[in-house]
Amino acid sequence: MSSADAVRDSIYRSCMYKDDMEWEKWLNLCDEDFQYSITAYSPEIRNDMIYLSGGRDEMLGMMKMLPKHNSDHSPLKRHCSVYTVDLEDDGATATAVSSVVVYQTQLDGINCHVDAGSSNVFLVGRYFDKFRIADGVAKFVEREVKLDTRKLDKGTHYPI
Amino acid sequence: MARSRNHEQWTSPPPFTSSEYVDSRIYSDQEIFEEELEKIFKKSWIPVCHESELPEPYDFRTVTIAKEPVILTRAKDGKIRAFLNVCPHRGNMLERSPSGSFLDGSPSGNPRHITCMFHAWQFDMKGRCIYISRQEEGYQDRLKKQQMGLRELKCEVYFGGFVWVSLNDQIDMTVEEWSAGSLAVLKPSLDEEPLEVFHYHKAIIPCNYKLWHDTNCEFYHDYLHYHNRITGFNDAYFARKNTGFDNGHINVGSFEVQYDNYEGSHSREEISFPHLPPNHWYMIDMFPGVNFNLRGSSLRCDIMTPLGPDKVMIEFRGLGLKSDDAVTRRARIDHHNSIWGPFGRNLHEDLLAVTGQGAAMNPRAEKRQILHGRHENETIHDENGMRHFYEEWGRWMDRMPSNPDKPFAESAGA
Ligand code: FES
Ligand SMILES: [Fe+2]
Repeated sequence: MSSADAVRDSIYRSCMYKDDMEWEKWLNLCDEDFQYSITAYSPEIRNDMIYLSGGRDEMLGMMKMLPKHNSDHSPLKRHCSVYTVDLEDDGATATAVSSVVVYQTQLDGINCHVDAGSSNVFLVGRYFDKFRIADGVAKFVEREVKLDTRKLDKGTHYPI
Repeated sequence: MARSRNHEQWTSPPPFTSSEYVDSRIYSDQEIFEEELEKIFKKSWIPVCHESELPEPYDFRTVTIAKEPVILTRAKDGKIRAFLNVCPHRGNMLERSPSGSFLDGSPSGNPRHITCMFHAWQFDMKGRCIYISRQEEGYQDRLKKQQMGLRELKCEVYFGGFVWVSLNDQIDMTVEEWSAGSLAVLKPSLDEEPLEVFHYHKAIIPCNYKLWHDTNCEFYHDYLHYHNRITGFNDAYFARKNTGFDNGHINVGSFEVQYDNYEGSHSREEISFPHLPPNHWYMIDMFPGVNFNLRGSSLRCDIMTPLGPDKVMIEFRGLGLKSDDAVTRRARIDHHNSIWGPFGRNLHEDLLAVTGQGAAMNPRAEKRQILHGRHENETIHDENGMRHFYEEWGRWMDRMPSNPDKPFAESAGA
C-alpha cells in the first residue's frame, strides 16, 4: 500500500470505528501525542471557536465515563470523502483534508414511537488531519473537525 | 398503599396549594403562547447579544424578539442603537446576515449606509432615511425622507456589556431597575473589565421556552447530572439558597464545586473571574427567559427566543475576559466545553430532559400537573425559584398557572 493509501485507509477506518462506537480501536489509530478538536467559525460572534478538544487519553477517559451519563443513544454515521492527501518530502508525515457529513438515526432522543428509525443530517464539516507514517501505517497525530454547523440542537456525547 | 391512578385521580389537583403546581397547557397552548409574546416578550427588556459582537463603528448584528426582526448598529459616536430590521418602503428585511459591517458598500447601495436591496432606499446608523431612489419623480413633494426613518427601539448596554432591547416604548424602567437587584451578585465580577464572547452555538428544541427556564431555575434535577452529583452533593451544596427578586428574577446561591472529584476535571481557581471566590458557581435566572451562569472561570449566557408553544431557540454563549492571554483563554474554553459545550457533559443531558418533557406534553394531551411543590427552606432543591417565576407569569398574563382559564389571584405563600 502506498503512503497516500495508508492515510486514506486510516481515515476511513477511523470513521468506521467511531460509527461503531469502538472508541479504543479508533484511538489505537492515533499516536501517543494525538490531539483532537472540534472547531467552528461563528459569524454571529465573528470568532473562531473550539467546541471540544483533548488528547488521546482524555478522549478515552471521557468515553469510559459515558455509562454514568445520560446520553442520546441515537447512532451517528459519518459519510466521509478524502479530498486531498499531501505527503511531506520526508515521507514520514502527511496531511489530509476530507469532507464529512454526519447522519443521526433517531433512537431515544425524542419520542421513539414516532421518531425512532428516522435519519437526519446532524452536522456538516471537514476533517483536517495530520499523520505520522512508519512501516506503511499512517497514525493520526492531529484531527481538527471544522464544522459548518452551529445549530447542534441536543448535541451529543460522542466525538465526530 | 401506593397505586396507579385513573383519569379522575390523575387530573384532580395534587395535595398542594395552587402556587405549587402548574397546568401543562401553559407549555403547549397556541393561544397562551401568542398572548405571552404580546404581554411579556414585547413588554420587557430582553438581552439580545454582547457588545463585542459589533465592536467597531458601522458594525451591525441582527436578532429577533417576539417574531420581530431587529437590527443593532454601532454608529460613529460608538453608541449601539436598535431598530426594527424592516424597510419602511415595502417591508423588506433590511439586513440578512447575522453580523457584519456597513463600511463596505452593498450591491444596491453606498458605503456607510444600511441599504434595502429591494428598491435601494438607504439609512444611516442612527436610523435616519438618507436616500430614496427617484424620490421627486415618484413622490413629488408628498413624501419626505424625514418621514421615513427606521422604527427605533429602546436599547441599553448593561451588565458586562450585554445589549438589551425592549419593543416597549412605554417601558418605564432602566435595565438596572428591571433587574431589581438580581444582577448585583455578579455585577462586580462582570463589570471589572471588558468581556469577550468566545463561544456561540444554538439549539432549536421541540419544547416550550419555560421548560428550559425551569431547568435553569431548579437544581433538584442534579440527579440528571453525574458530574454535578460527584462534584457537589455535600453540606455546602445543600445549603445553597434560591432567592427571589421583583419582576420574577431569581438567584441561585453559590458553593465551592469540587471539580477534582470528576475524573479528568480540575480546579478552576487560578483563572476565576474578578472578585469571585475560587471554584464558586452563581446563577441568575431572569424573567422571562434569560440565564447568566458563572462557574468560576467562564460565564455562560442562555438567551431564549420562543418560536412556538412547543418550540424554542436557545442561544448559548461563553464569555471570558477580553484581556485573557492565549493560555488563559484556552483554559476558559476547555472549562466551558467540558460541561456546557454542544459535546459537553451537562448541557446535552439538560437538553435531553426538556426534549422529553416537550415530547410528552402535546396540546390537548390529558392534563398534566407539573409539580413545583418542594419546600426545603429555600435551599437548592426547594422549588421556590420556579414558584417565584410563575407568580410573576400569572400577574403579567392574568391567568392562573395552575388553571390558565382563571384570572390571576395573588397566592398567600408565593
Ligand atoms: S422595500 Fe425597501 S426599498 Fe423597497
Ligand atoms: Fe442541568
